[in-house]
Amino acid sequence: MVRLLASALALVAVLPLAAEAHGPTRQRVVEKIEINAPADKVWAVVGNFQDMSWHPAVAKTEGEGGNAVDATRTLTLQSGGQIHEKITKYDEAGKVFNYVITEVDVKVLPVENYSSRITVTGDGEKSEVEWWGAFYRGFLNNDPPPELSDEAAVKAITDVYTSGLAALKEKLEGGN
Amino acid sequence: MRSPVGRIARRAAASLAFVGAVGMLAVAPWFGGEVRAASEGAREAFVTNQGGDSLSIVDLATRKSVAEIAIGGKPAGVAMAPGGRTAYVTAPEGKEVVVVDAEARAVTSRIAVGKGPVGIAVHPDGSRIYVADWYEHKLYAVDPTTGTVTGSVDVGLSPSGVAVTPDGKLIVTADRDSDEVSLIDTETLTRRAHFAVGARPFGVTIDAEGRRAYTANVQSDDVSVIDIASGSVVATVKVGSRPYAVALSGGRGYVTDQYAGTVSVFDLDTLKVVGTVSVGEFPEGIEADPSGDAVYVACWESNTLERIDTKTLEVTDRIPVGEGPRAFGAFLR
Repeated sequence: MVRLLASALALVAVLPLAAEAHGPTRQRVVEKIEINAPADKVWAVVGNFQDMSWHPAVAKTEGEGGNAVDATRTLTLQSGGQIHEKITKYDEAGKVFNYVITEVDVKVLPVENYSSRITVTGDGEKSEVEWWGAFYRGFLNNDPPPELSDEAAVKAITDVYTSGLAALKEKLEGGN
Repeated sequence: MRSPVGRIARRAAASLAFVGAVGMLAVAPWFGGEVRAASEGAREAFVTNQGGDSLSIVDLATRKSVAEIAIGGKPAGVAMAPGGRTAYVTAPEGKEVVVVDAEARAVTSRIAVGKGPVGIAVHPDGSRIYVADWYEHKLYAVDPTTGTVTGSVDVGLSPSGVAVTPDGKLIVTADRDSDEVSLIDTETLTRRAHFAVGARPFGVTIDAEGRRAYTANVQSDDVSVIDIASGSVVATVKVGSRPYAVALSGGRGYVTDQYAGTVSVFDLDTLKVVGTVSVGEFPEGIEADPSGDAVYVACWESNTLERIDTKTLEVTDRIPVGEGPRAFGAFLR
């Protein structure tokens, strides 16, 4: 009984810190899409950090700081969950920016220490958008449950990227 | 200069170093007139590729990857036995330390250690390997000759980096999720002290004198400068985004900034940043060449080992290695 209580207390002590931890193997996802629109037009949409309405999972974008480094945004998803993000690098001329998730519940997105980059490269009337992410799984210890495994994290991010890029293409090619 | 003759000359210079400056000048013509530091440069780098489950061996004379050995278990940490005959690699998912014969370029044994071995360091006399266990919050001592765990000590939460003082008396661990470092007595394997550093310390490096230790603090984007004797932080140096590890060379600290894709360079006396070098993406493991000429950096996202010239602070070579290199620890020999 004493031992049980002690381990319960130890668990309570560990929990608040554990939210910052991660397993030791970083994962990576890269997805690309070709869009029949010039790079400037594509960048004007995807490069606007304060409006992520092009992604079908996002219901609302609220933030501050525009597109500057350290600018923040809070994405409220269709599901009701929220993701807090921050710009870490922004290169207007190169049409590339990096951002990180500063806070998210693993029930919303099963990842930790997520960082990402979106790049637009132009070729005349066509563009390619690359969405890249590096992250750890959502479970903070050995032997994760299936919904918080490396595979689950990779699948979740891959789904976010492919659905987002497809919607972006449709929006831009549809002339909206 | 990178020829075998040059290497022999440098070895000769090292053995003659005790005769002092006059001796160095006499030897100088061996290098074609170039006067060098007495220390010999490293010959090879052993780079853990976490995604590729392998170890790349890079020849530093030709600056090419010459072998890739299968390791398994998502290798991360690496340390060299004194003299560089053996490399020890941690496999966090394999829950083992993989022993590699550096000359034969072959795995010779696997030692089961803990539940999530990450950081690793070797005692200067080679008699013990110290392994930080991320999940069990312990430091393990392993006898490499018998391949057995000889002891363990509880440290802070999720210890990552490990370093041993040059006199072999103390081990320093960066206890990432406690925001602390621990000082552990090697003789008794007891935790002598622990104290706060910056937020989420990952790599830890001790200077050649055993006077100071430096932690790279992932979350607070800075380096804690620690006085080992007093067990206290004496200064904090702000660096780039998401620092991972620190290397020391020629009176300067070199810090890999993962998110920034840079190496921040600071003066060890003034503790001011004196330069920022653009390298590949997600620079992680970093180590100084003993010659003082170069610092080598493993770039996780670019799949490269990059060489920074310490005089010009420019990248001179981007050497392709395996998938997802981390090289967390001492990887040069």
